[in-house]
Amino acid sequence: MTLEHIQSVFDRDLEYIQAHIIRMGGLVEEAILDASKSLEDRDMELATRVRDNDTAIDRLEEMVNDECARLIALRAPTAVDLRLALTVMKVAGNLERIGDYAKNMAKRTGVLIQMTPVNGAHAALRRMAREVQGLLKDALDAFIQRDAELARDVIRRDRDIDQMYNALFREFLTFMMEDPRNITPCMHLHFIAKNTERMGDHVTSIAEQVVYLVTGERPDDVRLKGDNTSTLAFLQED
Amino acid sequence: MYDTPHSTDASVTQTHIKIAARGVQVHYGDKHALKDVDVDILDKTVTAFIGPSGCGKSTFLRCLNRMNDTVAVARVSGEILLDGEDIYDKRVDPVQLRAKVGMVFQKPNPFPKSIYDNVAYGPRIHGLTKSKTELDAIVESSLKKAALWNEVKDRLQETGTGLSGGQQQRLCIARAVATSPEVLLMDEPCSALDPIATAQVEELIDDLRSQFSVVIVTHSMQQAARVSQKTAFFHLGNLVEYNDTQTIFTNPKDPRTESYITGRIG
Repeated sequence: MTLEHIQSVFDRDLEYIQAHIIRMGGLVEEAILDASKSLEDRDMELATRVRDNDTAIDRLEEMVNDECARLIALRAPTAVDLRLALTVMKVAGNLERIGDYAKNMAKRTGVLIQMTPVNGAHAALRRMAREVQGLLKDALDAFIQRDAELARDVIRRDRDIDQMYNALFREFLTFMMEDPRNITPCMHLHFIAKNTERMGDHVTSIAEQVVYLVTGERPDDVRLKGDNTSTLAFLQED
Repeated sequence: MYDTPHSTDASVTQTHIKIAARGVQVHYGDKHALKDVDVDILDKTVTAFIGPSGCGKSTFLRCLNRMNDTVAVARVSGEILLDGEDIYDKRVDPVQLRAKVGMVFQKPNPFPKSIYDNVAYGPRIHGLTKSKTELDAIVESSLKKAALWNEVKDRLQETGTGLSGGQQQRLCIARAVATSPEVLLMDEPCSALDPIATAQVEELIDDLRSQFSVVIVTHSMQQAARVSQKTAFFHLGNLVEYNDTQTIFTNPKDPRTESYITGRIG
């Protein structure tokens, strides 16, 4: 909707709230990239910065929720305005969760730095994190441009993240079976992989919100679940 | 703070069509005020008509009980069926029709008579009662339906114009329901009332829905959202969109509806 409200203050309120979301999105993207970089580069300083910066993300979420409550109370938004208020509250919640996962990754980096690196895992996790960040960027672009098609594309692409997680899951399992000394780092690495996969789910939720915001309908196509590790049997081959 | 009416059940449970309008056109002299309106108004449902001033919503409301008959330059064409019967048929007596399709106006307009006589007026002229006892019973039940009985039962002989604005409007509603109408038309019934009286009338509208089909014209979109189950949006004489109120306010299909209800220039 490009038309302006008769009351310009209404438009200013909506822009203010959206600016918070965009700022939040930027911080979260940065947190994902920095956390995975700190893991690969064994950079303790960067990991600490990711953990510290999470407070700013949390504060922005509170601000978005407060602003939305005010908007609903004072402006009684309807139709697309109402959908925007509902959407940004959920999107802010999703971003906050993604930020928490990035913070958790940075925390585990602190532990992993003190251990022998597991062959190739850090680079693979960083690739996965980059993939999620790219997906998040597209979801946020879809939000800003009100592009339901791009949002649907994001929903479909979450499968790639799930598949990356599946591959890592099997890899970590193999490492642990090969050498029990790998168990501690691999458990941490697995949590990082799982959390990154969960970030993808939150990005998908953001994309679903965008579809609702633009069309007024929930996306109808049931998402194909790519994560099948929950049904994977642990089979000893020999 | 004042009591807000309890939220209305958003779902439309009734499917019986009380009024069916087909191709309704209204001209006031050269002015084409209403263009080809088709709409089905459901029984035991509150239907809200919204739209900017001059959009034709009141004009259409007035077609539903032939109030436009009293406007010399007004010409109505098309078909309006009440329970399948054409209300513009020559054999239909407009006075009888208005007993079945009652109306409440923007400004409370009680007769300069006693509270009792205001309510008893309709049943008397339509000869609905045989005895004083029966008439007393109708006056009491009508005032109860209009949620006014407890406030006026000890002063029924006092003049109706001495009541407060909100009470006067509820008196007019009691007067309208006294003839046991099947449809109640309300033309901005709360625009002259304060928020408390508005809440009381809205609460009343929700109660009346169990007995009548209620059609309300309102400039307050929040009121339409609060009291109605179906909403029709009129613009420049056209019925632009007619749907469940919930849909109109969360996901309207027509950009004109969207612009209007979200308060945008369009």
